[in-house]
Order: sequence, then structure tokens, then C-alpha cells
Amino acid sequence: MSDGPGVVMRESGARGWWNLRGDGDEPRFRDGVAAVVGVSPPIEPCTWHAAGDRRAYWLGPDEWLLTAEHGTEFESPLRGALHGRCSIVDVSGAQILVNLSGAQAGEVLRKSSPYDFHPRRFPPGRCVQTNFAKATALVAANADASFDVVFRRSYADYLRGWIADAGREYGFLRGSLGTDHPTRRQRQPAQDDD
Amino acid sequence: MLLIPCPFCREDRSEEEFSCAGEAHIARPEKPAELSDHEWGDYLFMRTNPRGPHRELWVHTAGCRRYFNVLRDTVSYEVLVVYEVGQPPPDPPGGDES
Repeated sequence: MSDGPGVVMRESGARGWWNLRGDGDEPRFRDGVAAVVGVSPPIEPCTWHAAGDRRAYWLGPDEWLLTAEHGTEFESPLRGALHGRCSIVDVSGAQILVNLSGAQAGEVLRKSSPYDFHPRRFPPGRCVQTNFAKATALVAANADASFDVVFRRSYADYLRGWIADAGREYGFLRGSLGTDHPTRRQRQPAQDDD
Repeated sequence: MLLIPCPFCREDRSEEEFSCAGEAHIARPEKPAELSDHEWGDYLFMRTNPRGPHRELWVHTAGCRRYFNVLRDTVSYEVLVVYEVGQPPPDPPGGDES
């Protein structure tokens, strides 16, 4: 443990989250989403797209999870751009995003889930919904080799504790992210877990 | 532990991400009110329970949350074919015992 923390967990502040459903095979749908959100909905299963702060995660063949900075308004612009041919639900209150970085972040994922998080199978740009501890989560691989884990707020206490416990053997540090960017590397005063 | 190929996520995923929703291709009767109690009971409760290839409805509960059909061998637990709801059931290899 002398070489510093192997796992760092940083939790994002309030963000906007939306569940979007529609026909991804339709070019007008994809263009409409890209025009409003600034990022196109990924068609390839289990991938995510990002443009700056905004992200679109693949959840299913006709379902995406969108996220953007707090205070963004997507609902009525999307309804307008897609001429109502979509379902858009604001789920901002339901989601927690934590970023796991550090050399052993992948080990924590492998302890927590039956999914194969080997880098060969889970390179940057992939995202999966899977079992995570006794709950479920969306895990996304970032370009900087860190991972974003998105889970329900009602599981937050349990999963924060789970991750802290799973990371303890590697050296665990808890920090926080800015409210405006899910993975911004800002130096926050971080404290040891216990 | 089975690895089940999800036709929507297009990769093999662990069985614990899935839930089995019972036998596939159970069509709801067109006019339930005209059925006898016996016929309605058959529709609700009676299943084929074959030994060998069995068509089942599964849902990727922890993943994409989509339903799809699985042809699974009830003896070896081998997942033979995975196909989407609405597609015709494939013929099980080696003949259907049901």
C-alpha cells in the first residue's frame, strides 16, 4: 500500500439524465438526437458516444441513457426535433455516477460482477449493464483507462460501501468530481475511507 | 453457470444476468370468455416439460431487459439456439420430443 491508492472513487455531482427510446434505424431519429444532444445515439450494442460533457449510452436496441450537465433541457427540444416519435423520460433523480480510476480499478469490477472486464473484451467506448454486487449497474470504459459506474440512487449507500470495501486491499481513496463533468480530473481534497 | 448469448447485446453473458420466463410460444386464446375452465386451466398452467430440446422465453434482466427465445436442452443445459420473439421456432437438432 506504500505506492499510493490502487483504486480511486470519485462521485459526480448532480447531472441531468434521460432515458430515450426510439427507432435507431431511422436516420431522422439519429440526426434529431445528434442535433439536440450533440452526440448521436450509438447503434452498436454495448457502446457509448461522448461529445465533451454529453454522453449517450446504449441500453437496448431502441433505448439509450443520455447525460449532460445539470440544468440542461432535453425533453421538449427532443420531442420537437423528433416530432414526438420517441419516448424521453427525465431520470435525473435516479442516477449516481462514480468514476473508478487507479491501477486496480478493473480488479474491483471483476470482484463485483460476472461480466468479463478484461481490457480485450471491454476496451474504451464499451458500456455494459450487468449485475454489480447484489444490485445492477451500467459500467462504461473510458479512454483514460478509468471506468464510470452508473447505478440507482436507492442503491448508492450500499454500492459506495461495497466499492470501498472491495478496493480496500488495493489501497482505496475517495474523492469527488466536479458537478459539470463526469470524469474531470480535478484535484479535490480526498480523504481516506476510514 | 451457463453463458447465454443475448441476441440484442450480441455477446455471451452470464446466466445470472438473465431470468427464465417459462415455455415460449404459448399463445393467448383469442376468445378467453368462450373457453371452459378446463381449457383456460390448460392455457395457464399446462406445459410440455420435455426431456431434451425445449423452447423457452428468457429475459436479460440485468442487461438490456429484452425478452428473447432460447432453444435449450433440458438434459445437458446446452443453449442450442437463441432467436428473437416473433421469429419462427427453429427445429431442434435431432428431432423434437415434445
